[in-house]
Amino acid sequence: MTEKVKIFLDSDTLEKYLLGDTTKEEALKAERYIAMYPEVRETYNLLQDNLEAYAKMYARATPEGLKEIILYSARKEKAISRRFLRYAVAASVAIMIFAGSSYVFWNQNKTLQEENTMVTNQIKFLKEDMKNQLEDVRNQFIVLNNPDTKRYNVRGKMEAKELKAVAYINPVKKLSYINVSNVPNLPENKCFQMWAEVNGELVNLGVIKQLDNKDNLLALPYAENAIGYITIEPEGGNTAPTVQNIVANINY
Amino acid sequence: MSTLIEKHIVSLLAEKDDKAISLLYDNYGDTLFGVAYKVVRDEDLAQDVLQESFIKIWKKADSYDPSKAKLFTWLFRITRNTAIDKLRSVNNKSDKEVQIDVSDVYNLGVNGIRPEFMDVQENLEKIETKYQIVLEALFFQGMTQQEASDELDIPLGTIKSRLKIGLRELGKIYGTTMSLLLLINLLP
Repeated sequence: MTEKVKIFLDSDTLEKYLLGDTTKEEALKAERYIAMYPEVRETYNLLQDNLEAYAKMYARATPEGLKEIILYSARKEKAISRRFLRYAVAASVAIMIFAGSSYVFWNQNKTLQEENTMVTNQIKFLKEDMKNQLEDVRNQFIVLNNPDTKRYNVRGKMEAKELKAVAYINPVKKLSYINVSNVPNLPENKCFQMWAEVNGELVNLGVIKQLDNKDNLLALPYAENAIGYITIEPEGGNTAPTVQNIVANINY
Repeated sequence: MSTLIEKHIVSLLAEKDDKAISLLYDNYGDTLFGVAYKVVRDEDLAQDVLQESFIKIWKKADSYDPSKAKLFTWLFRITRNTAIDKLRSVNNKSDKEVQIDVSDVYNLGVNGIRPEFMDVQENLEKIETKYQIVLEALFFQGMTQQEASDELDIPLGTIKSRLKIGLRELGKIYGTTMSLLLLINLLP
């Protein structure tokens, strides 16, 4: 017998395990020793036999009728268990359906919320755009109908002689617009770009698209003695005007 | 009980066949009732304990593992613990002192000796009651070893050694059967 087994058998772990009084750790230890060491297993079996014989010494005749009561209770318990099992299955199915539908609703809700946010943003954007457009139209109306508005015909030069534009300047309302009515054809890699010099700063007014902007009035930033330019720039526009390519000046 | 019946009961328990309860009752009912009575010291309470124990056995049937304990050991543990819980519950309710029962440990009498074991009485003086006191306190009074040490005013180490001797050494000295028969003399 190894020292380890002797120490174990000398402790009271096995006796406690026999009675079910061990902690979880002690029980695991006892089970491990019983499985690993024949001496421990034999002792444990002997203890079990002794316990049974010892307990039988105290055997006492059970009262009449107790067996029937116990059997009835057991059967009742079995029936309750079965009923509980049925309820549990039904509850599980209900929970699964509920969970599934909850997920579907949650998903739908999430999608709807996303759509709602998108629609709200679109409405906000449209509202803002509409407001700007209305403001622009209102200003155009003011400029075009105001007697103080001055009209300037702009003609192109150099390779843009066919360029025709009309600028409308109203110094009272401090508004200025330009309508580019004719844009000459340019090579594919070139485009017209508008600029305005306002208070010494050159402001990019964007590329003139040949078809789209034909009948539109383009707002110009207003300033005293401002100058507008149209230049020929590489396709897509430039960050700074190419001075030697100025094809039109608009003084307003 | 033969191993064959034990195996049969175990298989019935695993199948949740209520014939298992009937067989358990027929084969172990008296012993378990005796265990319950020994703990609670009341016929009616012992009946309740046995009934509750059988319901627990029935409910826990799936958890019984024959590789870890003999069937009786498993049944004993459940019945003993149910009885101890019942006793504590009753004592808490009636505010009685558990020590009344504990004091019985010292009054081990011979009134309960069965006639068939009367011849063993002659050997009574050979058994040291100190082992029986410890066995009874631990088995039937539900005391931990520390509690037994406190209640019986015996050092913990002595409790441990007497328990060991009570369970193992008596079997060696007198032979398992003989020693167990002698124990019957301690029945009240």
